[in-house]
Amino acid sequence: MGITQILFWILAITAIFSALMVVISKNPVYSVLWLIVTFFTISGHYILLNAQFLAVVNIIVYAGAIMVLFLFVIMLMNLNKETEPQKSKWLKLAGAVAGGCLLLVLVAGLRHTEKQMTEMVTGDIGLIQNLGKVLFKDYVVPFEISSILFLSAMVGAVVLGKKEPRIPVETEMRKVEETQQAINI
Amino acid sequence: METVPLTHILFVSTALFCIGMYGLFTRRNLITMLMAIELILNSVNINFVAFNKYLYPYKLDGIFFVIFIITIAAAEAAVAIAIIINQYRTHQSIDVEDATELKF
Amino acid sequence: MNALIFSAVSGVIMMFSSFLLNNKNSVRVLAHVLLLATIIANIFELRGISFFHIDTRGMLEFDRFALLFTLVANVCTFAFFLLSSRDLEKIGNHYSDYFSLLFFILAGIVVSSSFKSLLMLFLGIEILSIPLYILTGSDKRNLKSNEASLKYFLMGSFSTGLMLMGIALIYGATGTFQTGITVAEKVPVLLITGMMLLLFSMSFKVSAAPFHFWTPDVYDGAPTVVTSFMATVVKAAGFIAFMRLFAEEFGSIRPEWKLLVGIVAAVTLFIGNITAVFQQSVKRMLAYSSISQAGFMMLAIYSLSNDAKEGLILYAAAYSLATIGIFAVLVRMKDYTFEGFNGFAKQQPFLAGILVVFLLSLAGIPLTAGFLSKFYMLKATIDGGSLALAIFAVLMAAVSVYYYFRLIQSMYFKTGNATISGTTTGFKYTLAALAGITILLGIFPNLLTNWLYF
Repeated sequence: MGITQILFWILAITAIFSALMVVISKNPVYSVLWLIVTFFTISGHYILLNAQFLAVVNIIVYAGAIMVLFLFVIMLMNLNKETEPQKSKWLKLAGAVAGGCLLLVLVAGLRHTEKQMTEMVTGDIGLIQNLGKVLFKDYVVPFEISSILFLSAMVGAVVLGKKEPRIPVETEMRKVEETQQAINI
Repeated sequence: METVPLTHILFVSTALFCIGMYGLFTRRNLITMLMAIELILNSVNINFVAFNKYLYPYKLDGIFFVIFIITIAAAEAAVAIAIIINQYRTHQSIDVEDATELKF
Repeated sequence: MNALIFSAVSGVIMMFSSFLLNNKNSVRVLAHVLLLATIIANIFELRGISFFHIDTRGMLEFDRFALLFTLVANVCTFAFFLLSSRDLEKIGNHYSDYFSLLFFILAGIVVSSSFKSLLMLFLGIEILSIPLYILTGSDKRNLKSNEASLKYFLMGSFSTGLMLMGIALIYGATGTFQTGITVAEKVPVLLITGMMLLLFSMSFKVSAAPFHFWTPDVYDGAPTVVTSFMATVVKAAGFIAFMRLFAEEFGSIRPEWKLLVGIVAAVTLFIGNITAVFQQSVKRMLAYSSISQAGFMMLAIYSLSNDAKEGLILYAAAYSLATIGIFAVLVRMKDYTFEGFNGFAKQQPFLAGILVVFLLSLAGIPLTAGFLSKFYMLKATIDGGSLALAIFAVLMAAVSVYYYFRLIQSMYFKTGNATISGTTTGFKYTLAALAGITILLGIFPNLLTNWLYF
């Protein structure tokens, strides 16, 4: 067993274990921390798979930005173990069965993939220079189009996040209307 | 030869995908549900990179798809957080089962 | 490409207009002008004059089908603007931002209806969905709207996850994102699994059964103006993407999925129609009716012939125009239940008559566009070799007549005091024009479908 294989096994087991911990730990803060561990192991996989740039981006964007955002929100809302709601046992069982079935089906499908071998951690195809050349030659159009998505997400965050100034009379009127509707329905 | 067969990596990613699905179905905390979605997206990313490396090593298509997924996941997370905060403002809770206005 | 760039730029302009123009009327006029410019640019491209020459490396292809659908979507949106843009004001304080989000959705529609690469499909579907999550939740003072957007987001991003997994597996099997795969005699398992995942996720997006369960809640919870847009233009765009995906990417492995799509179509028709019968609120009834209409549009994907293509375009136009018209009236009603429409014909005979035209079109009564589009679908299905499915669809259409006529019944044959506010003459004339188009397309469908060829 070479060093790559040992590394792969360690990373794979850590990834699955920490992903499980994300889902089953009761405290949302622990979930976030385990998720960060998962992201680091996934980045490790990327390095083994020779995608160094992706590994770095993954850590910067996910672990660095998104997870910090999540942590902030959790702290802001003051969530902890006591406030964490639990679903019933049966629902958990149903979730496990559904997830397990999908896992079985996918594994059965993937088992037939040809046993392709390749030399890991060799080659420089995933380095920034090659990526940049292809990005600005072949992938310019999707790159530009994804900017539309960012603009809309930006506008959306403003639209949703900004607090509406509450006009007392209007809100009252609205409440009355809502109750009226509820009675009618 | 220091190699790992492709199927092993695919199994890892499939396992992560299913764990994410399990989390999405069983958790009630919105933030954790969001984390489960991020797990799902990441498992897909591993798939793309593995296929790219093993089957089509001289092209970069898979890696570029991953880059687009990461960017879009970031945008989605921003919108999701905005929605969740809105929900928290009105309900004072982010338990998905407290959102019962639409059940009738 | 014209429509894509015009609508994206219009979105940006509308974004800035919120602080450059402090008058809501001028914001509205600006939005109308920009959309009109987009439509004109698109017509130019349909006539072969493209303003921009951009090498997309084969990722987007603006063929006549895509361009014509873009035109239909833009015109329907224009009708939506004319009828309902005043009602957008009532949602909240970000008037111009709502317009810019709508323009971004239009850009997403262009991308997702003209993709040639799975990457573009993914981007297009996401650009469609994310502004919609926001618009659904934009009525922040309303708890229902919040929850609807939450539900929509969770369902939407889960289905995005499924779609990405499917694309990954297809990439593994074929090594490319370009559509148009060629397979040897034995279809790889990876490809089949990926195709199934894509089928599920697209069914989620177009709310076909059994993946429809989010639709009634989301449509009911969203602000009514937004529902009107969401249930029509966006849903039709989802179908165009669906059809393009299955015609171009999976066309060569059709035996593998044909039965499955047929079952999905039948189940969608059944569930949509049967549950719509039991609804008390017109808004929820329209949500379920949109599911049942989705079942009819699924028939086009089942048969994938030229007829089906023409039919889908016609269906998109007929269904969108009629539903937008009904919603435009519904927004102004005080009471959304069927009882709320009691005695409507006495008070507003003109509007009631127009509503009847739209309802007849949705039910598929001859001389309306709805009839012909259903006819095209059935013809394509029978040519595709499934008489049973076509007969089932006709039966379900007969069921749908019940709940559409229930609205007509409460408008004409029941007494009550339906209250509607803010009906200007312009509003009435626009509705009348829409009804005119509905009847015109029902008599001369070639006016629309000929654009596919000439």
